[in-house]
Amino acid sequence: MKITDAAVFPYPKGDTSVRRFALEAGALGFDSLVAIDTPSATYGDVEVRSGIIFHDIPVRDIVNHMKRYRGTDAVISVKAGDAGFNRAVIGVKGIHVLRSIHMADKKGFDHVSAKMAADNNVAVDIDLSVLTLARGIARQRAIARYRDVLVLEQRFEFPLTLSTYARSVLDLRAVREFTGLCSLLDMDISSVEKSLAGVGAVLTPPAPAVRVIT
Amino acid sequence: MTTRPPTLRDKRRYLLVRIEPAGIPFDQKELYYAIADSITSLFGDAAAAIMIQAVVAAEGDYIFIRCRRGTERELAIALSTITSCRETRIVLRIIAASGTLESLRERIHTMNVPEPTAVVQGDVTFDKKTHTSVYCNGQKVDVIEKGFKNTHRLFLTSEDMETS
Repeated sequence: MKITDAAVFPYPKGDTSVRRFALEAGALGFDSLVAIDTPSATYGDVEVRSGIIFHDIPVRDIVNHMKRYRGTDAVISVKAGDAGFNRAVIGVKGIHVLRSIHMADKKGFDHVSAKMAADNNVAVDIDLSVLTLARGIARQRAIARYRDVLVLEQRFEFPLTLSTYARSVLDLRAVREFTGLCSLLDMDISSVEKSLAGVGAVLTPPAPAVRVIT
Repeated sequence: MTTRPPTLRDKRRYLLVRIEPAGIPFDQKELYYAIADSITSLFGDAAAAIMIQAVVAAEGDYIFIRCRRGTERELAIALSTITSCRETRIVLRIIAASGTLESLRERIHTMNVPEPTAVVQGDVTFDKKTHTSVYCNGQKVDVIEKGFKNTHRLFLTSEDMETS
């Protein structure tokens, strides 16, 4: 099980180089990072996975773009939209993570999407930066949305991932701080551990329910 | 008001916290207000009144924060939501919790073993631009781009310098 921060933005999108991110993440207790628009590499003990985020483009374009990343080890994510969009992208083969649920429509991620996510092994990302950076109503709404998603997660058992969306080393948080922040969403330690390993879970193909022995 | 005997006093806990980025000047009072604000915004006034947090001391990049015993978990969560103090971007890394300041001071002394530092002095080049290094510790190098307009700090490693 690799403890992974599911989204960081190294230089030039942020102010921290990917090596520095890896160095600090290792000190904070992480085994791997998903670095957006950065090639995969291993720095010290920390594995950096390449990450792609599609946002504000129609499903047809996402399907076309997916051809480019087929066969790579990149973690492909899509920013959530309305219910129809979310159901469509969850069904696209090769999509690993659905992000920014807290910014999507209130009914954008319902029980149908949750069931589809569980069936297609697509993770839903919990953005912890909204808990650290937002204040007041924005944070209250995000907490409420994530609590709602977690109710569906307990019922349908789709994978979860946790991200800091760090653009700077100052935005990174330690694993223990992840646990503390997730306790605001009523997540216990075991579900936080499971979510921290969520990236590994979506990248590993599920074991077949029936194995044919010849 | 006379001082209460020890058995009647509130039990306290102290958190040892490191401020990053290293070497930035900070005001203890401003930090207290930033922490109080984050606690109030996250847990409300009632919880803040129970916690009775205070920034009791500062030593270099380390500060000691006091709270009532049993509330250190909530305080730690509130500390992780602090991103700035008076327009300066900071992060508070919780190092340890203890019942006495003395044991936390000892902890600082045991931690302060100097890492082998890469020699990065003066001007360095990164991404085809000249930068001035402002902080070096181990492989970590913090730089600021040269020129009076841009004072944004970049967080790099010594290897980034060599490869650029």
